[in-house]
Amino acid sequence: MAMNFHQSAIKTRFAVRFVQAMKRLNKRRGVTTTDSYKRYRATRAAACASMASAVGPQRAWSRAVLSKTKRRRFQAISRKRRLINPRRNLGFGQEEDLRGLVPGGKGMEYCSLLSETAHYIRCLQAQIQVMTDILHHSSSLN
Amino acid sequence: MGSEGREGRVFQHRGDGGGDGRAMNSGIGGTNSASDKVSGVTMCSESMFYGSNWDPMVSLGQSGDFGNSNIVPQSQFANNPLMLENQTMCGSLAQFPSDSGLVDLVPRIPGFESGSFSEMVTSFGHNSDSPNHEKGVSQDHCPNSDSGMLGVSPYGKRKREVQQRASPKSGEEEQRKNPSGDTSREDDDMKQKFEKGIARGKQAGKQAKDDQSGAEPSKDDYIHVRAKRGQATNSHSLAERVRREKISERMRLLQELVPGCNKITGKAMMLDEIINYVQSLQQQVEFLSMKLATVNPELNMDIDRILSKDILHLRGGNTTPLGVTPGLSPSFPFPPYPQGAFNSTPGTGPPFHSLPQHIWNAELQGLLQMGFDPDPSGSMGPNGSSKMEL
Repeated sequence: MAMNFHQSAIKTRFAVRFVQAMKRLNKRRGVTTTDSYKRYRATRAAACASMASAVGPQRAWSRAVLSKTKRRRFQAISRKRRLINPRRNLGFGQEEDLRGLVPGGKGMEYCSLLSETAHYIRCLQAQIQVMTDILHHSSSLN
Repeated sequence: MGSEGREGRVFQHRGDGGGDGRAMNSGIGGTNSASDKVSGVTMCSESMFYGSNWDPMVSLGQSGDFGNSNIVPQSQFANNPLMLENQTMCGSLAQFPSDSGLVDLVPRIPGFESGSFSEMVTSFGHNSDSPNHEKGVSQDHCPNSDSGMLGVSPYGKRKREVQQRASPKSGEEEQRKNPSGDTSREDDDMKQKFEKGIARGKQAGKQAKDDQSGAEPSKDDYIHVRAKRGQATNSHSLAERVRREKISERMRLLQELVPGCNKITGKAMMLDEIINYVQSLQQQVEFLSMKLATVNPELNMDIDRILSKDILHLRGGNTTPLGVTPGLSPSFPFPPYPQGAFNSTPGTGPPFHSLPQHIWNAELQGLLQMGFDPDPSGSMGPNGSSKMEL
């Protein structure tokens, strides 16, 4: 199954990146090691960033996540670009809900939004599996 | 079936069509000779009209879908969007042979269910070989250079013929009907419907193909769309329809992804389900990251070492865990994971995961449980490629 292989490839890449990010997180002195909420936030950000990095720049949603996390310097530029949003949905209800959920969904056409959602769902599923496995095996190891 | 003079002429001009017509007549079988003549006549006239469109209809007509041969020509008529009313068409086209006695043999068959039509339509709705296709969904205006469909146009060039059959067709129909002049009422109906249907005929002309089998639609750069019965045919609505089909196709994909959505039909409810599912997945990620954040410090080193060793094993030459090529390809070039060795998987993952977990689980378990030993099956032996491609 193509999707299966795609999933395991994504899982491996995500796992590598996520574990490295967590390692970095642990090594950081300071707030992140003590404040549990900040740790949680940092962990979650690491998870999303690792997933997007594992996917690469091929999907629109991963590009959106990567630009959010990595290039904070360019935030000003991206904000300006956001003002010229060509596709502004005015109260479509479900559609704009979906756009709000999928990263980068606000600037897409409906068709591409749907395909991005499909890919995003698959990657989320892979991510959850990996994180669950890590959690379970780590707890079993300990 | 060359008994009719007109038929004979047709067969001269359209060798293929005539041959197929004969084949079809013989294929129908089981009918009396008179009805055979009728079907032969109507099929000949159809072959004049519909060009290669007719041929796939022939093959479809021979299937069990149609009860008798009389229905077949009508179905072909009806499938061509020019023919809006089966009954009138069949009645009027049956007048083409000078023998008007055959008219009685063609019954007025009530319209078919549109399902069969759309089936037939979509079966070759994507034919796109003709170089006359200008745009996938826009109408083209057929030049009226082809004056006569019957005796004049060279039937070797089927593409031109099909494209232009729409406009001269109405004129010819009316010409041919006038001599027989039996049912003027049907003529009027036909005139109206031809005018309505000309636009559709132009659309239909684009999908005509030389392909006699009419079995497989060939993909082109464009997506060719055929206007179904009762649908508007201007370019905007056709483009809209293409877009809607794309959207519904993606919704089907999503339906497969989201568990428990098989019974739900309707875009609104599907969207609701999808939104809920995405939200729940995101919440799960947050929950897991919270848990990992608390568990993390003790855990991390081991996993990292294990994974990096795994990467080293798999990729053969990579010395750093960062040696992962960023490209992503859906192929699976790795040697097979040691699935056979480990068959027990803990109940990991939330209950609504529908994806098989054995590949990842087996690998991770193997790595964690066996420590750093390579897989006994040797599947993770030296990998030929030095770079991992994903």
